Amino acid sequence: MDAFQNLLMGFAVALTPQNLLFAFLGSVLGTLIGVLPGVGPVAGVAMLIPLTFQMNPTGAIIMLTALFYGTQYGGTITSVLLNVPGEAASAITCIEGYEMAKKGRGGAALAIAAIGSFIGGTFATFALVLAAGPLTKVALEFGPVEFFALILLGLSLLMGLAGKSMIKALMMGVLGLLLAMIGMDPVRGLPRFTFGRMELMDGIGFVPVIMGLFGLAEILENAEKQFAQVFTAKMSSLIPTRKELRDSIGPILRGSVIGTLLGLVPGMTGSASSFLSYIAERKVSRHPERFGTGLIEGVAGPETANNAHANGAIIPLFTLGIPASPTVAVIMGAFMMHGLIPGPFLFKEHPDVAWGTIASFYVGNVMLLILNLPLVGIWVKILKVPYGLLFGIILAFMVVGAYSISNSAFDVGVMTLFGVVGYLLRKMDFPLAPVVLTLILGPLMERSLRTSLEMSQGDLGIFLESPIAVVLLLLSAFFLIAPAFRFFRRGKGTVSGEEGA
Amino acid sequence: MHWVYRIAGLCFVALSAFVVWESWNLEYYTNLGPGPGFFPLWLGIGMGGLSFAWLVRVFGRPDTAKASAFLPQRAGLVRILSILVALAAMSGLINLLGFQLTMFLFLVFLLMVLGRQALWLTLVVALIGSIGVYRLFGAYLDVPLPPAAVKFLANLGL
Repeated sequence: MDAFQNLLMGFAVALTPQNLLFAFLGSVLGTLIGVLPGVGPVAGVAMLIPLTFQMNPTGAIIMLTALFYGTQYGGTITSVLLNVPGEAASAITCIEGYEMAKKGRGGAALAIAAIGSFIGGTFATFALVLAAGPLTKVALEFGPVEFFALILLGLSLLMGLAGKSMIKALMMGVLGLLLAMIGMDPVRGLPRFTFGRMELMDGIGFVPVIMGLFGLAEILENAEKQFAQVFTAKMSSLIPTRKELRDSIGPILRGSVIGTLLGLVPGMTGSASSFLSYIAERKVSRHPERFGTGLIEGVAGPETANNAHANGAIIPLFTLGIPASPTVAVIMGAFMMHGLIPGPFLFKEHPDVAWGTIASFYVGNVMLLILNLPLVGIWVKILKVPYGLLFGIILAFMVVGAYSISNSAFDVGVMTLFGVVGYLLRKMDFPLAPVVLTLILGPLMERSLRTSLEMSQGDLGIFLESPIAVVLLLLSAFFLIAPAFRFFRRGKGTVSGEEGA
Repeated sequence: MHWVYRIAGLCFVALSAFVVWESWNLEYYTNLGPGPGFFPLWLGIGMGGLSFAWLVRVFGRPDTAKASAFLPQRAGLVRILSILVALAAMSGLINLLGFQLTMFLFLVFLLMVLGRQALWLTLVVALIGSIGVYRLFGAYLDVPLPPAAVKFLANLGL
């Protein structure tokens, strides 16, 4: 009951004209980022953080989270109409969605996707409301020992699930932690790895690093080809038939559950949810052989799942202070830039921010439903902007974003450097998601480890004194060791296969 | 294509060696517990071990991929380098020439030279992206972007 009273209080915050405007701006910008091929949600959220500096923390977080789940809606449009996923989580939608568009049912596919996304997002938000109380209570029992074990579990899950090459995922995880070591030591306050540069005393800015690794690297990859593509797409009627509506009910319900549950798991991406939902729909279908010919079930399920995932991925951040995906990690960074620490204390110390943001998810999902149904024609028109123009505008945005974080040209240089690093790492198929998570979690992880060891005067046995920590550490060990066993059982592969991981 | 991975592996090994060396000079342990060098030292050792393991695997397997899959074609490479040079110039000149002029030139270069856009469109976007963004950030978002340090340009309002 408490949760619902708090939610009502949250609605009072979310429904102020100012916060409604921020939710609307976030939804529009998120849809735009989702529509535009070449700007993913990670770089998109990072790029727009500087715009929130003068906002109050609640408004800023409402806008950034709306932007995040808005990208999931936007990504569908290009997947269905152009067979080009605007972002990775919508890639699987291309299979059935584009086939439907070829048959003149693209409008109906978009309508069902928007309705499914709305239901999935609302379902996951409802789960967050229910989970917030119990999970927060558990998390409040956590000291530095349990917190360190929890972060380690989150990172182990991420490594275990990151692509085919465990070594590459681990290397990227450690790289993020090493980057997090730059700046003042979080316990003693001594400078480390600063090379005498004042700009690095506060650490390396995560916004320029992420914009470089994800945004600039993508642009550099696209620059290998001619900047010639102009997309044209035709729209058909948005109204689904009765049969299409009936066939979508089951996939939407299943997608909501799949997306919400997988959203809770650190390291699981939205694409994993949509892919699993697609597989599930094929398994339960009476006509699995018809998949691939434009079935509405193959649009409704995955699109619901990826949006439920986006909202579900917020649950561990709000309750435990652990981001479940790279974009959520960037949102966590934005929290910290606004002087807020996401986690159980957020509900205690800043209930207006926590519950206001949760309530805004409902508001944002309604806005996105409206934006994505009648206004879909406008988004299609945006696709006609040539990439030769678009890439320049995106780069200009990145420069402004990187500079304005700390009014420093140095950060533009950092972004450029990490753009090159990200471009090279992508070409060698290194997963970049672990870098983001460990870069943001690194200082928290080090602080909790060192505080724990200070408490025990260096005795590692302290980690075995807490039953919660023991369970979490055992789970971490399992998730780290299991893929290694799989590798040894599988035996040899080719280097190209390895490199492609 | 092995050479790319070998170089990358060696770079990672060099990075870990550097981290271990730097951490060695930091305090590893204090009276109260682990010092500033504790965590980075173990991370450096971990990175070294992983990089070495990766290198061993890369050296030990047959090379099946072609180098051309990694390297961009000449025109693509020129575009990539142009973007990087433009960004480096932007970073180096923004405080000297000010945001407005630097961003204007940056956008004109990107849109006209690389993006092959029409002159009028380039100028409209470059003016909005430079003067428009400067005013918007300064006046409404309270995020000041740098004016020119050169007096002559500053007098012109740039």
